[in-house]
Amino acid sequence: MTDSDNTQSRQIDEMPETPVEHPFRQFVTMYMRNYAAVAGLLVFVVIVAAALLAPVILNVDPFEMVDVPLLPPGESGHLFGTDNLGRDMLVSIIYGARVTMAVGGAAAAITLIIGLSIGAMAGYYRGWVDEVLMRITEFFQVLPPLLLAMVLVALFSPTLETVAIAIGVVSWTGVARLARAEFMRLRELDFVKAARSIGGRDRRIIWLVILPNALPPLIVNAALTVGIAILFEAALSFLGLSDPNVMSWGKLIGDNRDYLLDAPWTVTIPGVAIFLTVLAMSLIGDGLNDAFNPKLRER
Amino acid sequence: MRTHSRIAAGVAALLVAAAFAVSPALSEPKQGGTLTFIYRIIAGHFNPAIASGTPTGIPGTQLFAALLRYDDQWRPQPYLAKSWSISDDGLSVTVNLRENAKFHDGHPITSEDVAFSIETIKANHPFKTMYAPVTKVTTPDKLTAIIHLSAPHPAIELAMSSQLGVVIPKHIYGEGDIRKNPRNSQDIVGSGPFKLKEFKPGEYIIMERFDDFFLKGRPYLDFIVFKKMAESTSRIIALETGKADITAFASDPQELTRLKKSKHLTLTPEGYSAIGPLNWLAFNTARKPFDDKRVRQAIGYALDKELLIKILYAGFAQRATGPIHPGSAFYSADVNLYDYDLDRAKALLDAAGLNPDADGIRFKTTLNFIPGGATWKRWSEITKAQLKKIGIDVTLKASSDFRSWIKTVAGHDFDMTLDSVFNWGDPVIGVHRTYQSSNIREGVPWHNTQQFRNADVDAVMMKAGLEINLDKRKALYADMQKMVVEEAPVIYINASPYHTIYNNERVGNPPIDSIWGTSSPMDNVYIK
Repeated sequence: MTDSDNTQSRQIDEMPETPVEHPFRQFVTMYMRNYAAVAGLLVFVVIVAAALLAPVILNVDPFEMVDVPLLPPGESGHLFGTDNLGRDMLVSIIYGARVTMAVGGAAAAITLIIGLSIGAMAGYYRGWVDEVLMRITEFFQVLPPLLLAMVLVALFSPTLETVAIAIGVVSWTGVARLARAEFMRLRELDFVKAARSIGGRDRRIIWLVILPNALPPLIVNAALTVGIAILFEAALSFLGLSDPNVMSWGKLIGDNRDYLLDAPWTVTIPGVAIFLTVLAMSLIGDGLNDAFNPKLRER
Repeated sequence: MRTHSRIAAGVAALLVAAAFAVSPALSEPKQGGTLTFIYRIIAGHFNPAIASGTPTGIPGTQLFAALLRYDDQWRPQPYLAKSWSISDDGLSVTVNLRENAKFHDGHPITSEDVAFSIETIKANHPFKTMYAPVTKVTTPDKLTAIIHLSAPHPAIELAMSSQLGVVIPKHIYGEGDIRKNPRNSQDIVGSGPFKLKEFKPGEYIIMERFDDFFLKGRPYLDFIVFKKMAESTSRIIALETGKADITAFASDPQELTRLKKSKHLTLTPEGYSAIGPLNWLAFNTARKPFDDKRVRQAIGYALDKELLIKILYAGFAQRATGPIHPGSAFYSADVNLYDYDLDRAKALLDAAGLNPDADGIRFKTTLNFIPGGATWKRWSEITKAQLKKIGIDVTLKASSDFRSWIKTVAGHDFDMTLDSVFNWGDPVIGVHRTYQSSNIREGVPWHNTQQFRNADVDAVMMKAGLEINLDKRKALYADMQKMVVEEAPVIYINASPYHTIYNNERVGNPPIDSIWGTSSPMDNVYIK
């Protein structure tokens, strides 16, 4: 007893004096080393800030027709010009950020919840549960996602909620596959076996033992899913399947596409906004992936 | 008055333009050639006796002849009927048929067929008021039919024309349920200038000249090909490249603006006065707060109708001011125009007890709109923005498809909706149905969906529907228009800017010389 205690304390005392970094600080350091990811994060922060502060920055109704339709950017004090109904494009873009980010975030959350639940169950229980859940997943994988989303939105009329749910419902299969693979790998590892040997219930093992270790790839995936969901929302809006009560970037493109040749800015500006946001999400995803990967920390 | 003279000036200008367009060619109609007609929809069947709608009416009036036809001045002309007369008491119409008229299978057209057709239409056609006063049709001889009426019916001549009063053969359609007769769409035996050659559902119809047509020397064309083209862009390209000769009911401002630039294409709004298409914002007057006329009027003042028309239709549409189309003989401009006036709108809402809350909102409501096509969606968004200015918070309700929109509105499950309703020539046929308190029939499309009930309006319509004297009838409808507009069960915005577009280098005598436009026989059309 005393001997071993002494040995331990001696060992600790003998350890070199290098400062031990907290894992989170390590993670931040790693992330900050990736300049592209930092740029992505900055863009993301700016967009989220614009979305949150929209009523403070510009207290104007985005649906208000303020001027002559299709004014080019910069004319009559409209920085981004006006759209086909004479609405200020700058106001539309700023208010559109709220809707676009909300739909993107909500759809990504739905994707994560469905995908994670199904993937975790399949990967943890294996056997017939896995078989059944994977066949269901495959069923959804073979359906063309945009077509299915269109049918869902058309069926339940286009509102913000149905659009977010439809996008979530068609895009969870990737997450499910990923989660299943992680759970299959982790469930065989010693710390999981240890948890089971001390009588841990399945629910506890899945959510508290395995999940925290399976999260990194899922978080990276979630960041990318937000980008994909934004593109999906834009595609649906372009096809006319958007909530007419709210202004989103996709809706701006959809509404103005008839004027593409006469007033290209009405489509280009929201297009650039979508491009920047999706790019930012993609860069953030890359950065997170690198930062989570312990093998890269040695470099 | 001013509107009248403007229309007159417009018509005059068009006539002059038409004269110039035709005169350099100075061509006589000539025999032969194929007319390619493109349209958004190809109907499932072409028997206008049992169905309304232009997809049935345009081909249907080529295959089936009616007793009468109309010129572009609302004057009835002989067609299958050589002559006709209405008795002095207005209770019977005697029709004398042409001697040489034959169906496409060679059977002679007799008064028996006329009686059968009118009975069939009365029993099956969705426009119930059209032949409602007809008690029976007697046939003293093979070429004479007498239509007996229970009351004078000023719309009877119109009901005998175009797609409303076609004559169909008794020996083909007389047995079994006519609605299920396969010959409504294949192997049609008609009475009109063209016979059906080939029909591919959803794609095309090919019609061939009927050599034994009762008007000698007509029709001029050998063939008419109706092709379905649902996409606006494909229609534009087909017309621009000359692959198609003509299309009708074009109203998309983008399409019109672009095609106007082509020199070989003529765009004309002529030929739609009988259809009389009106676009409006309708209220569910059974629901609060729209049961209060002041609220409805306030919305009338708050909508900038001129701006709406300018933005939505790029200058192609005409303002509508009341329940009767500006192209109708019964149109009266002497109504409240609800000129854009926000202060007046707010005052009316104040008077109705709808005061703004802390956020400036007086009440929340919803607006449905017709799905498909960007125009309705844009219209609804503009309405939302305009009503916000007087403190009405409007939530737009998109319908997933046309059917579900119809179901919602016909089922009275709406607060406000945008709608497009046709006049169908005579107010008795197409106007009364929207305002008559006896025509609130839940579930039926385009009944009095506003559930508007006004005994005075009912009474004046009843009187006008029985009045044979044209001037007296006009005066009654002038009263009716004034009353309805004042009560504001709907806010009138515009007449649909329907246009017929044709290739002026190829098409001679385009089908715009009738109030029925393309829903009338094209026996006079020729290829230059």
